[in-house]
Amino acid sequence: MQGDRSRRRYQEDQLALATALPETAIRRARRPRTPSGVVGSRSFPYLLVLPMLLLEGALILYPIVRGALYSLETPDGLGLDNYAQMLVDPDFWRMIGRTLVFTISVDVIILSVGLSLALLMNWSFRGRGLFRSLLTIPWAIPEVPVAITFVLMLDPSFGVLNAFVRFFSGADESPQWLLDPTLAMGIIIVVTVWKGFPFYSLVLLSALQAVPDELYEAARIDGAGRIAQFRYITIPGISSSLALLAVLGFIYSTQQFTLIWLITGGGPVDATTTLAPAIYMQAFRFYNFNYAGVIAVVGFLISAVSTIAFVAVQRRQQVPE
Amino acid sequence: MTSIRDSDRPGAGGRIETVARFAAIVFASAVILFPVYWMVLSSLRSSAESLSFPPPLLPHAIDLSAYLQLFTDKPIGHWLLLSTLVATLTVIGTIILVIPAAYALSRLYWPGRTAVGLLLLFTQMMPGAVVVAPVLTLYRQLGWTDNLLTLALLHTAFVVPLCAWVLKTSFDAVPKEIVEAALIDGCDRWKVLWLVVLPLTRPGLVAVSVIAFFASWNEYLFASTLITRNELYTASLGLATLMTQLDTPLFVLMAAGVTFSILPVFFYMAIQRHLLRGLTAGAVKG
Repeated sequence: MQGDRSRRRYQEDQLALATALPETAIRRARRPRTPSGVVGSRSFPYLLVLPMLLLEGALILYPIVRGALYSLETPDGLGLDNYAQMLVDPDFWRMIGRTLVFTISVDVIILSVGLSLALLMNWSFRGRGLFRSLLTIPWAIPEVPVAITFVLMLDPSFGVLNAFVRFFSGADESPQWLLDPTLAMGIIIVVTVWKGFPFYSLVLLSALQAVPDELYEAARIDGAGRIAQFRYITIPGISSSLALLAVLGFIYSTQQFTLIWLITGGGPVDATTTLAPAIYMQAFRFYNFNYAGVIAVVGFLISAVSTIAFVAVQRRQQVPE
Repeated sequence: MTSIRDSDRPGAGGRIETVARFAAIVFASAVILFPVYWMVLSSLRSSAESLSFPPPLLPHAIDLSAYLQLFTDKPIGHWLLLSTLVATLTVIGTIILVIPAAYALSRLYWPGRTAVGLLLLFTQMMPGAVVVAPVLTLYRQLGWTDNLLTLALLHTAFVVPLCAWVLKTSFDAVPKEIVEAALIDGCDRWKVLWLVVLPLTRPGLVAVSVIAFFASWNEYLFASTLITRNELYTASLGLATLMTQLDTPLFVLMAAGVTFSILPVFFYMAIQRHLLRGLTAGAVKG
């Protein structure tokens, strides 16, 4: 075994050295060969990551390639016909438009709600721990029960939200939440934000707490007001966290399938069919694997771009520090 | 230097502001938690009460008949058992794959390390829907559909990137000096990993296990595509089916939702700080 061989080698080294050198010298002598201090053969790290890479390769990367191949299949061999069809398909562009409306709304709202709550909580008060824990609950509830709860609350005949709306608007009719395209889109945005915001809130709260108190004190001594402090100390202090969370929020909303599928089923008609449900529909409703493959390639490109954006933001935040 | 009054600290204003802030927090929490309250409340209603409109906002009496009906009429126990099984298998698979990988990513220096890191990030960001159709085809060819073990394998593949990342940052935090000292004392690489690094990263391992367990427990898209036989339904599948069955009484449906959520809510609340630190240490500097 690799380990045994290196141990033997190490023991021989040590025998040879220990007689002549003090311990610090042994350490120094070993260092040039192994900068991390861990002895290892050259292939050892690859052996360690190999099982993981095999699984990822077989169950994620290979299916991506296979999906991309579906997208190239046409009745007369491989070709770009499906892509040509996509480019002139108004339904495709409407779907992309809906996806953008959904992802951008979720991202903006989730960051705003997350930051507002973080600012509210960034203050030491009795019971803060309790509120922090309570706010974790939406994040912890699985998507299926979340969908069930909201569907029940929106039920046209006895949903509790109707009672609220009727009470505040004085109307006698309950809104047809899930039958109106705009309302349905609004609802899946709200539910997606509700399910996801605690993570954003809690991360921003810890970012806020990491902004040194001295900065605020110095600013106050210089006569800066509340708004100036927020603008020139708080915002720069958390901007890198905000940027990374913006990328994460974009991905979180692009990936969303379960909530949309179980609450609206992509409807009414296709008003809430964003990218993920669209792939599912094409593949399993219309059995059009080729067209599903085309949309999947678009999804793949979105995640590739997000990865690059994430790394870029992360690099930028590491430079000044 | 001018003395700074306590109330000048960021976030701590005068008395009026304190009250206003507290009121705002309570109000926000009430709005945010209303759906949770409603879910629990609806599950504690009697069948007669659950159909009245407007629905009463406060419970009249606590009625556990929904839970009784749920456990006698619906195979929820069986579903939860299978979910636990799949999630446990996912945790085992994840831990086995992620410990060596995170160790290599954190402690060893080798050409290609950055590339593997990027690959992990990319797989983590990819929507599951992108591969759902090809995965189904692959699983059908292998005869792997309607099999909880292979479902767990797929869940593992999806959760491994995040977990490798979380555990790597946890390994990063182990001081180099401790590792070097262990090596000098004659430990080999395996012993360093098992006896020195792992015990120091127990919080990271707990976080990884919880993430993997509940990623699998909550997963719906792949479970619904790959599992077709009723007797193999996991809880998320069973619940989604109850939702579409019109004959399921609503209060029973809500009781099922509550039952399914108790475990993750309990764990997330218990290790919330850990989880957050693990999830963000690498990605977001707090």
